[in-house]
Amino acid sequence: MTQKKKQNPAGNSELSFQELIFELQKYWSTQECVIVQPYDIEMGAGTFHPATFLRAIGPEPWRTAYAQASRRPTDGRFGENPNRLQHYYQFQVILKPSPDNIQELYLTSLGAIGIDVKKHDIRFVEDNWESPTLGAWGLGWEVWLDGMEISQFTYFQQVGGLDCRPVTGEITYGLERIAMCLQNCADLFEIAWTRTKKGEVTYGDIYHQNEVEMSRYNFDLANTKALFNWFDTCEKESQKLIKEGLPIPAYEMAMKASHSFNLLDARGAISVTERQRYILRVRSLSNAVAQSYLESREKLGFPLVKS
Amino acid sequence: MVKKQDLLIEIGTEELPPKSLKNLAAIFREQMCLALKDEELDFSDANWYATPRRLSLIIKDVDTTQKDKKSQRKGPSLSAAFDKNKKPTQATLGFARSCNVGVEKLEKFENEKGAWLVFNTILKGKKTDKLIPKLVETILERLPIAKRMRWGNHNIEFVRPIKWTLILLGNKPLNCKILGIESGTCSYGHRYHYPDALEIKKPSEYIDTLKNKGYVIVDYDERLSLIKTQISKIAKSNKGNVIIDSELLDEVTSLVEWPVSFLGNFEQEFLKLPKEVLIATMQDNQKYFPVANDKGELMPLFICVSNIESSDLESVKRGNERVIRPRLNDAVFFWEWDLKYGLKNHHKSLSDVVYQKDLGTLHDKSERISETLISIAKKMNIDTGSAKTVAKLCFCDLLTKMVSEFPNLQGTMGYYYAKADGENDDLALALEELYQPRFAGDKLPKTLLGQCLSISEKIDSLIGIFSIGKAPTGDKDPFALRRSAIGLLRIIIECKIDIDLKDLLSTAASNFTNKNQTSNCINDVYTFLMERLRYYYRDEGFGADVFESVLAVNTNKPLDFHHRIVAVAEFKKLDEAKSLAAANKRIINLLKKSEKSTSVKIKDSLLVEKSEIKLASKLVDYKKIITPLIDNRNYKSALTELAGLKKDIDNFFDNVMVMCDEAELKKNRLAILNNLNSLFLQTADISKLQD
Repeated sequence: MTQKKKQNPAGNSELSFQELIFELQKYWSTQECVIVQPYDIEMGAGTFHPATFLRAIGPEPWRTAYAQASRRPTDGRFGENPNRLQHYYQFQVILKPSPDNIQELYLTSLGAIGIDVKKHDIRFVEDNWESPTLGAWGLGWEVWLDGMEISQFTYFQQVGGLDCRPVTGEITYGLERIAMCLQNCADLFEIAWTRTKKGEVTYGDIYHQNEVEMSRYNFDLANTKALFNWFDTCEKESQKLIKEGLPIPAYEMAMKASHSFNLLDARGAISVTERQRYILRVRSLSNAVAQSYLESREKLGFPLVKS
Repeated sequence: MVKKQDLLIEIGTEELPPKSLKNLAAIFREQMCLALKDEELDFSDANWYATPRRLSLIIKDVDTTQKDKKSQRKGPSLSAAFDKNKKPTQATLGFARSCNVGVEKLEKFENEKGAWLVFNTILKGKKTDKLIPKLVETILERLPIAKRMRWGNHNIEFVRPIKWTLILLGNKPLNCKILGIESGTCSYGHRYHYPDALEIKKPSEYIDTLKNKGYVIVDYDERLSLIKTQISKIAKSNKGNVIIDSELLDEVTSLVEWPVSFLGNFEQEFLKLPKEVLIATMQDNQKYFPVANDKGELMPLFICVSNIESSDLESVKRGNERVIRPRLNDAVFFWEWDLKYGLKNHHKSLSDVVYQKDLGTLHDKSERISETLISIAKKMNIDTGSAKTVAKLCFCDLLTKMVSEFPNLQGTMGYYYAKADGENDDLALALEELYQPRFAGDKLPKTLLGQCLSISEKIDSLIGIFSIGKAPTGDKDPFALRRSAIGLLRIIIECKIDIDLKDLLSTAASNFTNKNQTSNCINDVYTFLMERLRYYYRDEGFGADVFESVLAVNTNKPLDFHHRIVAVAEFKKLDEAKSLAAANKRIINLLKKSEKSTSVKIKDSLLVEKSEIKLASKLVDYKKIITPLIDNRNYKSALTELAGLKKDIDNFFDNVMVMCDEAELKKNRLAILNNLNSLFLQTADISKLQD
C-alpha cells in the first residue's frame, strides 16, 4: 500500500474541522461509499443511524460514510471542560462485508487528513464493543494516536440480536479529537471550524452557548415526568408499528425512547436497578425492529444483493 | 537415519488481544508439541514467539518423515483357513482379497492362544510436510479463545482476522491453506517501519531478519526485558524510580513490536489527588508507568512505551501529555464532586443496588453486616458505635463517581472519602480493609475493626449464597466464595481473632429474611470452611495426617485449631512421636473392642502388675500438669510433657495383658487406657499420625 502525500487544501495550515469532514467524505467516496447525510433524530452514537443499524442486518452488501451528531447528555460539562461535550460529531464508515484490507484503508485515510503514520504512535488497542440497547456487539479496537483514542474499529458480530453474515466493518472517527491533534490545540472550543477572509470561526463560536444551555437543560430542567411518559409512548408506538410491519418508523420510535432514557439518566431520575430494566426495554424494541427489517428486505428479495 | 529439519510456523493477524497473547502463544506451542509426539515425530527444542500481529513457533530438529512401522493384520484361524484338500477356504480368500494380495503372501502366526493366518507388511511413514497443515489448523481451531470472531464474507472463526501464514520446514515452504489463508514464503515487518513482505528463507533466519530488517522483536521475553531496561533507565535519569505493575508490563509488551520508551510530564497540581487515583489513571487508562521519588511519593511524570521510532518523538510526547491532562482533570472533577456529596449520603441509595436478587440490595447487606459485626464487636471489645458506622459506610463508595470510573479503587476511595467526612483513621482504614485479602498471599487488614468487618462481610456472603443454592461446584464459583472462605480463615488465624465459627455462622444466618434456608446451610458452610482450611494448611506445609489429627477433636475455633496443629506438627518431630502414635492407635482399637462404654474410674486395688501401677500413678501426676497447659492452649508443652510417658506406656504394653480373662482386671486396665487416650485427645487424636 503506498502512502499518498496529501496536499493540504487550505495551504500550509492544518485542516479545519469542516475540511476534515470534506476530506473524509472524499476519501471514502473513492472507496465506493454512499455518502449519506446526518439523521434528523437525536442519537447517542453514529451506529444508531439507520444507514448503519438497519443496513448491517441481512445479506445485502453496503458501503456508506457520513458525519453524525451524537448526543450524550451525561457528558455535558456546561461548556467548562476543554474535552467534553454533550453534543459532538462522529464520522462513521460502514463497509459490508468488511474487506480484508480494512485496516490499511483506514490508515490510508489518516494520511488523507494529514496524519503521518511514521511520525505518530498509532496503535490498535483491543476494545470489544457492545451496545446493550441495540442488542449489538462486535470485536475490534480503539485506535490510539499518541495515546489519544481517535477512532473505534469494530467487526460487528451481532446486531439487533441477529448474527451478522456477512460481517460489517465499522469505523468511527472522533472528529473533535482528531481536529485537536491536527490543529494542536488543547481546548476543543478553539478548534478552527473554518477559516475565512475575516478570520477563524471556531468550534466554540458555533457550539459553546449550545453546550452551556443544553447542559443546564439535560441536568437540571428536563421534565422527567413528561420524559417517562414519552418513553412509554414511544415504546408503545414502536410495538404497534412492528405489528404493522413497518420497521423504519418503529425504529425511529425506538431511537426516541432511547434518547428519552439518556435524558432521564442525566437527570438522575433512574435508579441503578431500574436502569437495567430500561436498557432491556429499548433492546427488545431494537431486536424486534431488526427481525422485522430483515423480513421486509427478504420480501423485497434483498435488492442490493447483486447476483 | 531420519532427516531432521527446523520447523517455523507464523500466523500473521490483525492486532491480538494483549491480555491473552502470551497464553495463546504458550498453548499453541504446547499443543503443537503434543501433536508432533502423537504423530511420533521427534524434535528437540520448541519455542514460542508472539507480537501484537503474530503467533509463531520454531521447533528444532523435527523428523522430516515418520519412521516406517511394521503392521500385522490377523485373518482366519489356521483351523478355518484351509479345507480338507488343503485348499484355502472362502474366509481365507476373502481375507487375502481385503489385503489386496494373493493367498501365498499370507503367513502363519502362532502364540499361546492359537494360530492364525496373518498379513505382515511395512507401513511407510508419512512425510512431515504433509502432516503439519492439518495439525496447525486443528490446534488453531481449539485454542482457548474467549470470544471468536468472524470477518468479511469468510466462514472462518479466530481471535482476530488472519492476514498471512508462513510455514517452513527447513528451507522448504509448505504449500497449504491454514484456515482459508494460503501459506507463503514471507512474513511481514512492522506495520509502519516495514509494512512490506519480508522473505524468510529458513527458520534460523526468522528472528534476526524480523529484527534487523523488519523492526519487529518477535521474542516476547526479549521485548519485556528491553522495556524494563528502558523505563528504569529513564526514571533513574530523572531521579526517580519507575513503578512496574507486572500485569501492565505484560500488557505493554503485548502491544508493541518495537518498543521505544519516553518520559512525559503532567502538572504538579494533580498530585493533590490520592496516589491510587493517579496510578489508576496512568496504568488503567493510558498504560503508562508511574514514577516515584526516593520517599515513594509520586512525581508528576509518566513513562510511555510507544511502538515506533518516530521521526518526531517530541510530537508523540506532546500528544500523550495532551491526553493525560483531561483524564486527570476528569479525576479531579470526580474527586471534588464526591467530596462535596459526602460518603455517608450515598447510604440511602444503596437500596437501589441489587446485591443478588434473592438476597436483597446492598442496603440490606450492609444492615446484616452491621448486626453480625456488632455481635463480634461485643466479644472483641470494639466500640459498637464504630461498628455501626463502618457497616453503614462500607458500600457507599461503590456509588461515588470515582469508583464508577475506576472499579478497582473500591475500598480505597471509601478510605479517602471517609477521612474527608471526618471519620477517624481506623474507621476509614477499615473501609479499605473490607476487601482484603484481595488475592492469594495479599496483605490482611491491620485494624481490628477492619478485620472484623471483613469477617462479617465474608460470612454474610457465604451463608447468603449457600442459602440460595449457589454454592461453588467443580470449577464454578461465580461469587468467588472459595476466596472469601480462605480470606476469612486467614484473618481469623493470622490476625488471631478468637471466635467460634459455628456461633458466627448462626449469628449471620439469623440476620437474613430467608432464615429457614440460611439456618439449614450452617453445617454445609462449616464443612466448606473446614475443606478450605485443609487446603490452607496443605499450602502452609502441614501434613495431611497432622490436619486430620486436629480435625478429629472438633474445635469450632480456627485460632484454637491453629495452636493445636502447630503443636502436633512439632510433636511429630520428637523421637517418641512414632511409638506414641502407634500406642494411641492400639489404645483406640482396644477401646473399640470393649463392648460397653469404658469407665474412666481406675481402682487402685485392682492394679496388679508393676508397670500398670506405675502408669496409673503417672496418669494422676500428668493430669495435674496437662490440665492447666490445655486451659492456656499451651498444646505444644502438653504434648511435649506427654511424650515423657513413652517409656511407661511401652512397659505397660510389654508386661500387661489388657484383654485378660478376669473381667474386673480387664475393665480396670481399659480405664487406664481411656484416661491415657483422653489426655492426648485434649490436644489432638495423634493416632491419626502417619510415618
